[in-house]
Amino acid sequence: MMRRLLCLLLTACAALGAQDPSLRDTLASAKALWATQGDRDGAAAKFEAVLAALEPSARTLDEGWTRLLCEAYNWTAVLDDRTAGKKAQAPKRLESLLDLDPDYEIDRTITNPRLQAAFDGLRAARFGRVKLALEPAGGVLTVDGKARRSEAGVHWMTPGPHTAAYARIGYKPREMTFEVALKDARDLDFKLERTSSVITVFTSPAGAELLVDGKSRGFSRGQVPADRSYLADRAGVKPEQLSDGLRIADLAPGKHLLEVRLPCHRTRRLEIAEALTTPFADSDLEPVKLEPSRGTLTVQSAAPGGQLFLSGLDMGRVPARDLQVCAQAYDLQVKYPAGSFTQRIEVAEGASLTVVARPKPRLTYAGFEGNDDFAGRERLLGMLAALGGRLHEVAFFTAAKGESLKDCLARLRSSRETELLLWARPAPGRPVQQVELVLSTLTGQEERLTVMPLEQDPLGSLAVRMDRQASLSEPWAGLTLLDLPEGAHVLQADAAALKAGIKPGRLLTEAAGKPVANVADFRKALAEARGGTLMVAQGEAPVKLAVAQMPTELPVNASGLCYPVVLADLRLRYLGAQGDDAALLRLGQALALMHFREYDKALEVLRDARMVAVQGVSQGTLDYYTGTCLLHMGAAYQREAAQSFNQALKYPQATLFGPDGPLLAPLARQALQDLQP
Amino acid sequence: MHVLGTWIRPMTLILAAAPLLRAQDGDMAERLYRSGERAHAARSYAEATETWNQLIAQLPQSPFAARALLSLARHQLEVEHKPDAALPFLEKLKNAYLKTPQAGDALLLLGRLRAERSHSPADIKEALADFNRLVDLFPDHPLVQEARFRMGLARKLQGDWTRALQAFTEAMRMDPDAPAAIAAQLQAAETLDILGDLPGCLRMLQDLRNRHPQAPEAQEALWRIQARAVQRLQKPPLKSQGPWPQGRTKWLKTPTLLATGPEGDVYLYQSDDDRAYHLKDGALVASGPVVKGGKALLVPAPGTTWIVNARSGVVKEEGPQAAAAPLPSPSGGMLDAWGNPWICDPGSPVIQVLAGDAAPRSLQVPAVQALAPLPDGGAAAASDATRTLLFLDAAGRARVTVPYGKDLPASFKYVVSLASDPVGHVAALVDGDFEGVVVWGPDGSVLRSATYKALGIAGKFRAVALDRAGGLILADRSNDLLIRLQ
Repeated sequence: MMRRLLCLLLTACAALGAQDPSLRDTLASAKALWATQGDRDGAAAKFEAVLAALEPSARTLDEGWTRLLCEAYNWTAVLDDRTAGKKAQAPKRLESLLDLDPDYEIDRTITNPRLQAAFDGLRAARFGRVKLALEPAGGVLTVDGKARRSEAGVHWMTPGPHTAAYARIGYKPREMTFEVALKDARDLDFKLERTSSVITVFTSPAGAELLVDGKSRGFSRGQVPADRSYLADRAGVKPEQLSDGLRIADLAPGKHLLEVRLPCHRTRRLEIAEALTTPFADSDLEPVKLEPSRGTLTVQSAAPGGQLFLSGLDMGRVPARDLQVCAQAYDLQVKYPAGSFTQRIEVAEGASLTVVARPKPRLTYAGFEGNDDFAGRERLLGMLAALGGRLHEVAFFTAAKGESLKDCLARLRSSRETELLLWARPAPGRPVQQVELVLSTLTGQEERLTVMPLEQDPLGSLAVRMDRQASLSEPWAGLTLLDLPEGAHVLQADAAALKAGIKPGRLLTEAAGKPVANVADFRKALAEARGGTLMVAQGEAPVKLAVAQMPTELPVNASGLCYPVVLADLRLRYLGAQGDDAALLRLGQALALMHFREYDKALEVLRDARMVAVQGVSQGTLDYYTGTCLLHMGAAYQREAAQSFNQALKYPQATLFGPDGPLLAPLARQALQDLQP
Repeated sequence: MHVLGTWIRPMTLILAAAPLLRAQDGDMAERLYRSGERAHAARSYAEATETWNQLIAQLPQSPFAARALLSLARHQLEVEHKPDAALPFLEKLKNAYLKTPQAGDALLLLGRLRAERSHSPADIKEALADFNRLVDLFPDHPLVQEARFRMGLARKLQGDWTRALQAFTEAMRMDPDAPAAIAAQLQAAETLDILGDLPGCLRMLQDLRNRHPQAPEAQEALWRIQARAVQRLQKPPLKSQGPWPQGRTKWLKTPTLLATGPEGDVYLYQSDDDRAYHLKDGALVASGPVVKGGKALLVPAPGTTWIVNARSGVVKEEGPQAAAAPLPSPSGGMLDAWGNPWICDPGSPVIQVLAGDAAPRSLQVPAVQALAPLPDGGAAAASDATRTLLFLDAAGRARVTVPYGKDLPASFKYVVSLASDPVGHVAALVDGDFEGVVVWGPDGSVLRSATYKALGIAGKFRAVALDRAGGLILADRSNDLLIRLQ
C-alpha cells in the first residue's frame, strides 16, 4: 500500500516538473571539471548524467529547467565535437537543443565557429525569424496558446501559420495571426492600450483576502521579492513576514475601499485614493500589516470525556478554561463517548465567552427500505436527509455514502456511534401513499409514525417534537399563591419564605419591582428572575426570596414529546450528574420507559436512584414509582411492591407531578390496601 | 401525521386475518365503508346506514366491518341521539371484533353510556368493567386517558375517593395537555377536598389555572378557588349588599324557593304564579311546569327545573315522577350525584330516593324537612324535630351531626331553607333565638353567620342559595326581591 502511494507521489512530482536541485550543481561541476581541470571524461559523465535525468521529461520542464537542459546540450555538443569518436553526435545534440527551444542562444564563447555555423544552419533550415516589439514590457506572451519568454527581439518559429498574443494586467490584450516562412523575417509590434490602474498590495502576514468595494480580488501569497524587500522595513516586519504583491486591476477612476481580511487578525479597511486610479497608473500600496485578534473561550461540561473541536480543529478535553482563540465565528463541537454537542459561536476580540456543553443525542438517518417508486419519493428522501438542519437539540448524521440501510443499522448497532436510529419504509398498500418512519433508540424503544410524502411538510411536527426538551424542574420561590378577585393570595409559604418575612393569608402585591395583579404576573416574574433571588412585597417593604429549581415529573404519552429522543437525552444528561439531579434524571428515564411500558427496565433504573429531598417530587416519589413498576411485574413481586409503598409513606410531604401536585400518601395507602389479600 | 406505534399489535392481528379474505373482498369492504362515509358526510343517513349494514352482513370478516359497526353506533349517538339504538352495535363490536382497535372505542362508548344511565353504585360497575377492559386490552389506545378519567368519575360516584384520585392522577400523567388530563386535574382537586386536603385541592386548582389558562376548566377552577377561599380561608363577616341584581326591588311575585343551577345561574320559584324561573342575564325566563305549593326547586340541567310539592312529589315538565309509596307531605328535596331526587317529609321516618325507573329507595333518616346535596354524593339534612343538621353520606349514614346552634351565639329552632354549593358549603336560613343566616363547612363547622338584625335587613326570608363567588342570595317573599350577602 505504502509502496503504491510512493510510486504515485513520484509520478505526480515528475508530471509537475519537479526536479532534483542537485542537478544544477552537477552541471556546474561538469563545466568546472572541463574548464579548469581539463577532465573531459569526468565532465562528459556528469553532462550525461544531467541529460539522462532531464531528457525523459523534456516536454514538461519549466522554463528554468528547459534552459538548464539546453545548456547541457550546448556543452555536450562542444565536448563531443572535440572527442574523436563522438564528433558525429555534436550536431544531433544541437538538433535536440533546437527541438527543445529554438530561441535558445548557444554560448558562442565556448562553441567553435564551425559548430556555430552548423547550429545557425540547422536553425535557419528549420525555423523562420520573427522579430517582436513588446510595449510595455513585463507582460505575458503566448504563441499558439503556449507560454513563451516575454522578451522583445528575435524569436524562431516553425514555418506556417501562428497566432501570438500578448497581455498585461491593466492593459487590453492583443492577438495577431501571421505566417512564418523559412529564410524570411517578420516584424510584429505588440503595443498594448491601457484600460485601468493597477495597484499592488503586500500584506503581513501572507494569506489575507483582499476585497475592493466588497468584492473579493484574491489572496496575498508568497514572500516579497528581494528587490522590494525595503517594503518590509516600512511595515516594520522581516521580509519573510511580508507577502509577494497581489496586483489588482480593473479599478475604475475614483476612490475605492480596500478591505484586508485574515482569520484571527483584525480586518483592515483602507481607502484607495483617487490619485492612484486617475489617470491610469501602476502603484504599490504601503504594505498592510494585520494585527492579531483574539478572545478567550471557556467550555464547561458536567459530562465527562468530551473532546473539544473548533471548526474541526482538536482543542483537547473539556472542561477547557480560558483558551486563547482567534476572534471569529466557529463551529464548536464537543464529542463525547456517547452523544455530541455542536454550537455555532462567535468569539469577539478581547472578550471572554463561556459555553456550557452537554452531550446531545446523536441521530443517524440510516436510509429508506426498498426501491418502491412513488410520488414524492425524492422530495421526502431529500427532506429526511436534510432533517438535521431543523434540529438543535439533536446531533444529526446520515449513513455513509453508498451504505445500505441494513449495513448502516448493523454498523451503528455494533459500534454504538449513535444513540438514535431513523429509517423509512413504504407503508403497506399499493400504490404507496404513505411512508412509515421508525425512530428507535439503540435499546429498542421506538416510535413509528406514518407520513404522506406529498403533504406540505411531512416532517414538520416530528422535527418540532424531536427538538423539544423535556423539562424536569420549574422555578420555585417557596410560595403557593391563589388567584382571588382582589389579587394573588399567599396560601402557603415554606420555612425560608416565612423566615424572609412572607405572611400567608395576605396578598402578594409586587414582584421584581412590578405590581402583581394575579398569579400569572408572579409566575412571569419568577420565570424571569436572575441570580437566584426574587424581591417580592406584600404591601410593605420588599423581601428577598431564594429562587430554586423544584423537580417535576416527566409526563408519559405527551403528544408534544418524542420519547425515543427524550429517553436518549435523559441517558446522556445523567452522565456526570450527581446527587438529587442524578436521581431526578433516573426518575425521568424510568417514566420514559414506563411510556414504552417497559416496567422491568424502569425498575432497574429506579433501583439506583436516591434523593435527599423529602418534599415535592422526592425520595417518596421514587419509592412510589418503584412500587408501581413492581405491581406491573406481576404477583411474584407483590411483597416487594408493598415494601416500596410502605417506604413511600415515610415521606408524607412527597408529591406526584411537581411541587403543587397531589400528595402521594393516600395513593400509596390505597395501593397497599389493594395488595392485601 | 399520526403515531402508529400504538396500533402495532391490533394491526398485526388484522393483517394475520387478512389472507382469509380474498383480495377483491377486501377491496369491496373498503369501498363499501368509504361509500357509507361519503353518504354520511352528505347527510344521506339512510344510504350510509344501509351501506354499512350491507358491509357487516356480507363481509363480516373484513376489518372494515368493525369500522362500520362503530360508525353506526356513533350515528345513533351523535345524529339520532338514541343511545339505546347504539348499544347493540357497540356490544357486537365488543363481542365479535375484540381484536380490532375499534373495540377500544366501543368499550369507551359503552362505559360512557352505562355511566350516564346509572343510578346506583351497582349500575356503574358495568361501566367500570368496560373502562378497565379498554385499559387492560388496549394499553396504547389513544382513548385510554379518557377511560382513566371516566374511571375516576365512576369511582367518585361510588364514593371510592382514593381510587378515584388514583384514576384521575393516572389520566393526568398521560399527556398533561390533553383535554382529558385537564378535566381529570379539576376532578382530582375536588376529590382532594373531599378527602380533607383543602390546601392540596387549592394548590391543584391553581396549578390547573397556571398550566392551562385558556382551558374552560381554568374558569371553573377560578370560582372553585374563590368560593373556598371566601368561605373557608378568609371568612369575612357577612354583609348585606342590598337588593340583587343591583338595585332591583319589588320586581318579583312572592319568591319562596331558590336554587343554583349546574352552570352557576340562580333559579327561583314564585308562589304567586306557581312556577320556576331561570334568572338569566338579569331577566326571568320561565322554566318547567306550573306546580302549586312548591316545596323544593331542583335544577337537573341548565334551563331545566323540577318542583317538589306536597301533593305529587317530584314534578317534571312531562309530569310527576311516580313513586310507589309517595311520602305524605314532602317538604324538601334535592338531586344527588347520580341525578336521583331525594325527597324528605318531616313526618316520615325515611328520606325517599327516586332512582330512575327502579323502585324508590328509603334511607332511614327520620323527620327531615330540608335537604341540600353535598359533593361527596350525600346530603345535608335539617331535622327540626331532633334539632340537628346531619351530613349524610350517599347511603344515608350520618357522618357528621351538628346540633342546632352549635358554635353560634344563640341556638335556633327551625331551618327555614337549606342550600349548598358544589364545593361542599352548606347555608341555612334559621329561626329561633338566632334568627339569620349560617354557613357550615363540609366538616360541619360553622364558617360564617349573622343575624338579620346584624345584617341590617328586614323581611320575610324564605329561601337561600349560594353563588359561585362565595355570596348568598336570599329571597324576601314579603318585599318581592332578592338580597345578596357577601
